[in-house]
Amino acid sequence: MNERKKSAISLKNIRVTYRSGIPFTRATSVYSPLKDISFELYKGDSLGIIGRNGAGKSTLLRLLNGIIKPDSGKVVNHGHRTALLSLTVGYDQNLSGRQNAVISGMMMGLKKRHIVSKLNEIDEFSELGSFFDQPVKNYSTGMKQRLGMAVAIHLKTDVLLIDEILAVGDSRFRKKSEAVMREKITSGDTIVLVSHSAETVKRLCNKALWIENGVVARYGDSKVVVAAYEESQK
Amino acid sequence: MAIYYFIFGVVFQRGTEDFIPFLLVGLVVWQWFAQCVNHCSAAITQNHALISQVNFPKVVLPSINIVMDTFKFSIVFSLLLIGLWVMGYPPTLSYIYLPLILGVQFLLNYACGLIASMLIPFIPDLSNLLPHLLRLGMYGSGILYTVSSLPESAQNILTYNPMIWIIQSYRDVLMYNQAPDIFNLAIYGCAVLTLYTLARLLMNKLNPVFARALMQR
Repeated sequence: MNERKKSAISLKNIRVTYRSGIPFTRATSVYSPLKDISFELYKGDSLGIIGRNGAGKSTLLRLLNGIIKPDSGKVVNHGHRTALLSLTVGYDQNLSGRQNAVISGMMMGLKKRHIVSKLNEIDEFSELGSFFDQPVKNYSTGMKQRLGMAVAIHLKTDVLLIDEILAVGDSRFRKKSEAVMREKITSGDTIVLVSHSAETVKRLCNKALWIENGVVARYGDSKVVVAAYEESQK
Repeated sequence: MAIYYFIFGVVFQRGTEDFIPFLLVGLVVWQWFAQCVNHCSAAITQNHALISQVNFPKVVLPSINIVMDTFKFSIVFSLLLIGLWVMGYPPTLSYIYLPLILGVQFLLNYACGLIASMLIPFIPDLSNLLPHLLRLGMYGSGILYTVSSLPESAQNILTYNPMIWIIQSYRDVLMYNQAPDIFNLAIYGCAVLTLYTLARLLMNKLNPVFARALMQR
């Protein structure tokens, strides 16, 4: 464990504040989900972020991806491409599952050629059958998520950010996607996973970060951190 | 268009004999501008799900609308040219100025579209006001009348409307076989280019802010 790893993204004293109300005037409500967060994400790590509802887990992922900027503090990305994995990004209701798979893959940073070559695998994995060529508006929620998952497993970036998506579909499909994800995680990709389920984090990640009241409560080996987190929830 | 012809041409007896081509030229180019601004204004707010999930340059969103509206305009404009020919205004040598005027208006549309799309996420209520502003702009751009037929005081106010000059130039070229004032065109082109550059710079500056602005409403 003591080998020196290269840092992929480092965060220093991050603070994020959401204001609501009329812009440029006194805000009517101010809320800071993240107050003072500092940690280093190392290359090859799979980091699980745990914390209660509204603890700022998703905000943290958006920061890592660069969608939003912190109000104070610094996010330093050491030249790594990041992709926030979201299941139904950029779906057009009128296009077929096949076309949406291509669009959604491209939105998350895949080459069109690459995603087109993987379409058969996506079709097979998503188990949509004849629905694959029907407009997405005819899909059930689960079908959309399965399609998203089938696309998501083909993502290839330096740092993969995953927001609570492993709990998709029925238990059989969940097992299948978790197996694929586990393969991805253990293959040495850098991954950040957000989950409500401490159990998932313990199983899939080697590091864990516990956020409480906007600060890092614990950061370190996932088994230790998750045990401490579960202890505090009792 | 038939409605405008009926009201102004028949009811108010405003129409001179070239009222139909006069009206058509004004309306077609005005519609290009109005559609671009109107569609762009919703571009960023509408895609707020996408913006909160993927990190990409937001300038893409209004640009999609610009390309779409320009494509539609290109069809309507070709029909207009054919229509003018049928009505007795054949192509002339002054048509060589047409690409210049079109280019200037394209930049103006693009700049105004970008500005509209940047304002709406911060001032959402503006989207209710915008159609009315555009309608006001339409009546103030000399589409249904010639600006020179107005009283002096009104003319002075209307000189600040950038669309008047553009529509006037289109009419000069398409109907009266007159070259537009090159000097004016150059000044106007520079002004529009500056506006466009400013809009693009502001867009780059605001790029990471939009996600926040849309989330914390």
